[in-house]
Amino acid sequence: MSEARVNLAIAEHPEERRRGASYLLRILGVTAAADYKLKYSGSLLGYVWSVAKPLLLFTMLYFVYGHIFKLDKVSAYYPTSLLMGLVCFYFFADATMLGMYSLVMKESMLRKLIFPRVVIPISTVVTAAITFMINLLVVGVFVAAADITPRLDWLYLLPLLVELLAFVVGVSLILATLFVRLRDLSQIWELVVQLFMFGSPIMYPVGYLPEWARKIVFLNPFTQVLQDARALVLYPDVPRNKITVDQVFGPYGRLAPIGVALAVLLVGLLFFRREEPWLAERV
Amino acid sequence: MTRLDDPRHAIEVRAVSKTFRLPHHQRNTVKEYFLHPLTRTTFEVQQALDDVSFSVERGEFFGIVGANGSGKSTLLKIIARIYRQDAGTVEVQGLLSPFIELGVGFNPELTARDNIRINSALLGLTRRELEERFDSIIAFSELERFIDQKLKNFSSGMQVRLAYSIAIQVDFDILLLDEVLAVGDERFQEKCFATFQEIRAAGKTVVFVSHDLDSVERFCDRTLYVQGGQPQMVGETSKVIDLYRQREINAGPAIAVSI
Repeated sequence: MSEARVNLAIAEHPEERRRGASYLLRILGVTAAADYKLKYSGSLLGYVWSVAKPLLLFTMLYFVYGHIFKLDKVSAYYPTSLLMGLVCFYFFADATMLGMYSLVMKESMLRKLIFPRVVIPISTVVTAAITFMINLLVVGVFVAAADITPRLDWLYLLPLLVELLAFVVGVSLILATLFVRLRDLSQIWELVVQLFMFGSPIMYPVGYLPEWARKIVFLNPFTQVLQDARALVLYPDVPRNKITVDQVFGPYGRLAPIGVALAVLLVGLLFFRREEPWLAERV
Repeated sequence: MTRLDDPRHAIEVRAVSKTFRLPHHQRNTVKEYFLHPLTRTTFEVQQALDDVSFSVERGEFFGIVGANGSGKSTLLKIIARIYRQDAGTVEVQGLLSPFIELGVGFNPELTARDNIRINSALLGLTRRELEERFDSIIAFSELERFIDQKLKNFSSGMQVRLAYSIAIQVDFDILLLDEVLAVGDERFQEKCFATFQEIRAAGKTVVFVSHDLDSVERFCDRTLYVQGGQPQMVGETSKVIDLYRQREINAGPAIAVSI
């Protein structure tokens, strides 16, 4: 009989072993890496696909809106602006869709292992964020090709990304938890994502919207982040109150969509925490 | 921090009840809520556990026996905090390593290597600790040749071997074992028995759920017998098993499965 090998040491600091930020980050890293691998290993083009998808969509939309509807004439930076919008939208759609399915897909882990469940939806958002970062590199290439010189105030892009991430995590947490109870939520959310795409100034300039509509779209953190990013990178010379949230809500108007993003995150976290004890038996 | 009544205990289960509501007509779509907003869904209430109390001492090998559907696995999941009880309290002192049902939360699309990485991280191993113990995990499971194969190509016996190897290599004070012997071959069973001895000798606590009454008798200091979610007897293993055999195996049509 072969020798049995057991870890015989009594656990050190049992209370801290599976607690704390380093533990959370570590398991988030491991699960996100596995999710990323799974997401693209099944498809023929693999990782290329993650970049190809928004680029293909971009080509089609650019042809329709840039050429046929002549939005190219509005701004020399229309293609870059469009790609920026699409890449951000794609992140939102990808992360929230995957986030919604995440708990149900990881059913066996939920039923058999002990760990903070919040890691599962967040790790799918991280997975989508990796794709997002790769896509942002492509946007960077477009920006470079448009002969735009980088400026120091591009650092403001970081807090914008954090805000977008907070919003997306909040939405994903709400969807993931609801989907456990309502299995046809996916059909509804698919429609919402479509409406979101056309209801945000991704393909058209925000100024084309009537004022009442602008008041609505700028409550959406996604629109505020996108327009701020466009203003920073593509239109530094255009007055801020022309294209960003300032135009509808004044100089402190940014607080409204930022408040929405934080509120969504908070609601998501609280809702998830309330449902967490029952997830294993309901998935 | 936990609040144990008795510091010598590792686990205290006090008056725990758990019901599962099984709806007659499953309402889990938005459509249902729209079409029938006022109809109340009727439930079949299944009482999985009914006022269960017992405690497990530190260093004890504690058995749980009962027929299929008697609530053994639910009890283990509540101790592991995978399920939440409706009433009662559970206090655990020490770090748990769960081996809950077959498969142990593996992802079938990932390789054995990746699954080891995920499971051990969730159970609290750092990357460096995993590196140190990886070879031991693989060696015990005897799956060296299959380490980069996807789990879906593993037999259930192989999956259990891998899961058990991980469960005993992470840091733990209390090992929860649910049917670890059910699908393994004899050789694996013998290896398990050897680890049981070692774990016991190291002063760790084990909660052992099994239909294999012979091994329950061989290893467990004390045993709990549950029937229909209600505790029938806790105490010396041989007496508990006698009662269990008498009630469920010898009497009437056999419901219980004995391996």
